[in-house]
Amino acid sequence: MEAIWYKSELADEIIKNNDIFNQTQSIIADVVSGKLDITVLVENMAGVLTSKEVEDRERGMRFFTKVLKEIPADYLTEMQIKFISKFYVDRLKDNHRVIPAVLEGYLSVIDMKHYNVQSSGEYLTALFREVACQSQVRQDRYNIYLTIQKLFIKNVEYMKTLGPDFVYGFISSMDGERDPRNLLFLFNFLPNFLSNIPLGHLVEEMFEVISCYYPIDFHPSPDDPAAVSRNDLAAVLCPCLCAIPEFAEHCLVLLIEKLDSNLRVAKIDSLMLLAASCKTFKYESYGPFLKALWSSLHRELTHKTDEELKLVAHDALSALVSKLSTKAETDQSFENFVKGILISMQSAIAESLTVIQFMEAIKILLTAANTSKQSCILIIKAMIPAILAYYEFKPLVKLQISCLDVLGDMYEMADHWEVLGEMEKEVNEIPQLCLTAVSERAKDYQVSGFKTLIRVKNVLHIDLVLPFVEILIYNIQQSQDSELLSVCVETVHAIARKYPELIMTLVVKGKCDLENLTQDKTALQKRLDLLSNLASIDDFTKIIIEEMLKVITTNDEEASKVVKALSGSISNISLYTEEKVAQIESDHGLISSIMEWLLKSILDESHESLNHGCTLISNTICSLPPEKQSSILSKHSKAILEKCDSNEMYFLILECLYRSTSPTIYDTNFKDIMGLALKLALNSDNQLLRTKACCMVAHFLNKAQSGPNFEILNEVLKSYLTSCSRDNVNILPRLIELYGWITKALILRGNDLFQFWLSKIMISISTSECSVEASEAIKIIMTDSEDCLNTRHHCRTSLLYRQRMFQTFVTLTEKLGPPNTDSEEAYYLSWGYVLEKTPKSILNSQINKVSPLVVDALVYDNKELLKVMLDVLIHFVQSKNITVGHSLQTILPRLINLTTYVKCMDVRIKSLQCLYEIANSYQTRLLLPHKQDILIDLAPSLDDKKRLVRNVAVKARTRWYLVGAPGESKED
Amino acid sequence: MTKIADNVNPNVYEKGSEREVTSSERDEDVVDEIDSREIFDLLRNINDPEHPLTLEELRVIEERNIYVDNKDNSVRVYFTPTIPHCSMATLIGLSIRVLLLRALPSRYKVTVEVSEGTHVSEHAVNKQLADKERVAAALENKNLVQIINQCVA
Repeated sequence: MEAIWYKSELADEIIKNNDIFNQTQSIIADVVSGKLDITVLVENMAGVLTSKEVEDRERGMRFFTKVLKEIPADYLTEMQIKFISKFYVDRLKDNHRVIPAVLEGYLSVIDMKHYNVQSSGEYLTALFREVACQSQVRQDRYNIYLTIQKLFIKNVEYMKTLGPDFVYGFISSMDGERDPRNLLFLFNFLPNFLSNIPLGHLVEEMFEVISCYYPIDFHPSPDDPAAVSRNDLAAVLCPCLCAIPEFAEHCLVLLIEKLDSNLRVAKIDSLMLLAASCKTFKYESYGPFLKALWSSLHRELTHKTDEELKLVAHDALSALVSKLSTKAETDQSFENFVKGILISMQSAIAESLTVIQFMEAIKILLTAANTSKQSCILIIKAMIPAILAYYEFKPLVKLQISCLDVLGDMYEMADHWEVLGEMEKEVNEIPQLCLTAVSERAKDYQVSGFKTLIRVKNVLHIDLVLPFVEILIYNIQQSQDSELLSVCVETVHAIARKYPELIMTLVVKGKCDLENLTQDKTALQKRLDLLSNLASIDDFTKIIIEEMLKVITTNDEEASKVVKALSGSISNISLYTEEKVAQIESDHGLISSIMEWLLKSILDESHESLNHGCTLISNTICSLPPEKQSSILSKHSKAILEKCDSNEMYFLILECLYRSTSPTIYDTNFKDIMGLALKLALNSDNQLLRTKACCMVAHFLNKAQSGPNFEILNEVLKSYLTSCSRDNVNILPRLIELYGWITKALILRGNDLFQFWLSKIMISISTSECSVEASEAIKIIMTDSEDCLNTRHHCRTSLLYRQRMFQTFVTLTEKLGPPNTDSEEAYYLSWGYVLEKTPKSILNSQINKVSPLVVDALVYDNKELLKVMLDVLIHFVQSKNITVGHSLQTILPRLINLTTYVKCMDVRIKSLQCLYEIANSYQTRLLLPHKQDILIDLAPSLDDKKRLVRNVAVKARTRWYLVGAPGESKED
Repeated sequence: MTKIADNVNPNVYEKGSEREVTSSERDEDVVDEIDSREIFDLLRNINDPEHPLTLEELRVIEERNIYVDNKDNSVRVYFTPTIPHCSMATLIGLSIRVLLLRALPSRYKVTVEVSEGTHVSEHAVNKQLADKERVAAALENKNLVQIINQCVA
């Protein structure tokens, strides 16, 4: 049977039967395949489309719209679309019930490929004439806006030809829109529309329609699933208000009015609008409003408490000043505006009593200055003399110090805008003030003075160098304060880069008297530190290093001091680059000289100075390229290896030579050194040597390349351990320490063998004899050590090794089961070491396993253990862990007990801290049952003998008083 | 709440630095006595009921106006209202009292008074603050406790 849409009964069917709406797909298939002509289809619908009943016509239009929506966009020809479009335009005049379907249908028509945009003029005219947009429901209003937007995107040029009538129609259709979603759509579309379509005489009308929403004061209903927030709307409204330069006058009047409002959001929105408007509005538009704008801005910029408001005010000021400075050359108003800022800020500075007030005014000036070259010149040029004068007025100490900092900031800003040339006279005064400041006795003045001087060192006049040097050298020789000392050394360094010859004569040859370095014994160490620091500057390297090396090789008494100074400076990477160290080594033979000294004095120097020598050698080696390293090794190692047979102390030199080698280096000596290191690690009676030997073993295992090299070393290790006798009672603890180092070396390189060694340590934790040593070994694995197994020494370090250690540790403890009573404490302690260093995010995922352990550990009388566990517990409490929250009944008495722990104040402090955090973190209903007890139990801590403990006790107790009391600020 | 603050634009002063931790404070065996600086540190961060400022910034509390006697176990605190007719004087005094009640060991006898000659009804305020019954009664008042807790928090 032929389908109904081939016959004119279709019209009746549409009226009577809802099912027909579901069959549009089949109709379209027939149309597309050519079986049914669209004109025939329309003719068949004639009955319903022209029916006298409104309801029928509505159904007809709905049906037709559905067909048009689903038909492929490229199927209909231009002529067909033209007729359909004409029909739809005609339908706009129909009853209001028909309109929604018409609007929806025409949207699909616009989307058609062959749609001719010329037809839209007629549609829009009819639309604006016949349909009152704001009387439609939300969706239909949306469809109207969407139609306009689509047409606009399709052909902007044609839309421009539609003229003021179109604009007027659009204005009146959106006038009074209330729905936030539609507004969001409109505001997103408007800036584009406004900047393309000329508004003609309708500028004011358009602005009125948009600005009536400003500032947006809207709260979405709480149960709206896709709520539009106030901030969304405000963010899109702002660009509309300043979309075209023609809006300028209206917009500025409006925003000045709203700036004076009491509503905080109105102020913030207005400031943002001001900042945004500077991008589009013309320079001239601001002229008449500048006075009003500055007075409003000034008020917001000096707001006492609202930081966000201040921030947007700064943004607005910066945008405004930079806009004004575009015409600075031709117009006076820029200069007048900036001068206005200067005058009001200078009086604010003069009146300021506190640093906060002072810095507030300075910040405003800096914001204004940092917007353009012209403003920078104007402001900085005026402010430097002003601040210099202010300093002389002798305000408070803190203010004078801030002055020094501010001068440094201003100098850097002028440097950034490359305008230093314009204010030479002014900036040249800064070093003079620095000199005044550093001539004061107080440390604060000196530190700030020198810091500012370092920043402005390029304008330091040669005449001032001498007085500065006098003070600097005096400080360096006399001062005990480490901060001042390091600043002084840094300053000398800075001056030396500017005036190398002068510093050479004044400091190196003069004050430090390089040629007779060791004549004057007083403050020798400090002079040496300064010199070794200066030696990093190319001009000084040769002369200073040569002299120092001469002292090292010839003067026995003072050599160790020189070594200490050199080692300290060279290990500072920011001072000495790798290239620099390599250069010093190749030019002056640094290592040979130090080696010579070490060999000579190894038996009678103190451990500390030997250590400086060793660090110096290893730091130098690690900066050298691999070829250079291996040539140094082959030169020295044989001889030292032989000496080690006579005295084990020589091993120290061997260790520092090999400590920092690159992983690519491997020679025949490695096997012998490994054997020697193992022997010393287990048998030496010298604790230092044993540790160094363990480190050596660890370094070799960590760095050896996988494959034969690693296998050989591993073999040496295994065979040595199987052959060594275990009769010596001392050997067991030493073995465990060695295991710790081996485990660490392997886990760092990501080698799975570490589990074997770790399980050996774990077994000893559960035996009563060696449990303490085993927990020490765990500590070794978890803590970073400065001079071994880190990247500086070219070791392999896997980033996530602590996670891996934690996971393995957890599995191994589960395998071993609970500890016996003798070794319980060590067991918890090793847990403590692991937990302390494991990243907190990992702990959070294992919280149920870990938190009972932490609580159990709180009863042991071991301060190391308690400190670690309390730290972990504080972390859990801060993250509001609920397992901990539910065991407060157990935890609180234990913590209270620890608040009177006599042996260690840190334990008392941490337990009180934990109590404070508990009151801060958990819900009132969990805390309230304990409140009274805790308040009574905390009273004794208020009278603790240590002030630091009392401080925390006060904090905890006053916090507990607030639990559940009126005035407590807590979210839950 | 349209009441305008008594002193709309008070003088604001610089905050002092934090007390530095000395090496003797880190030493387990040395006993640190409670001194006036420590009590000043307790009180300096109390918020003013009218302004978002602390009593230190308004110089209501100053270290030199606090006296501690560890032998007699007595603490005397004198505070200076920002203006002589400040209606908040009693409230500030009460806040100081309450904080010391919570934060000082019970062995101390605490006296809180207005510095001499700085308030019009100095004696009345002092009398109120010294009266234990009245202080206790004030602490029964929920609204009052709320304001005090907000000040001392």
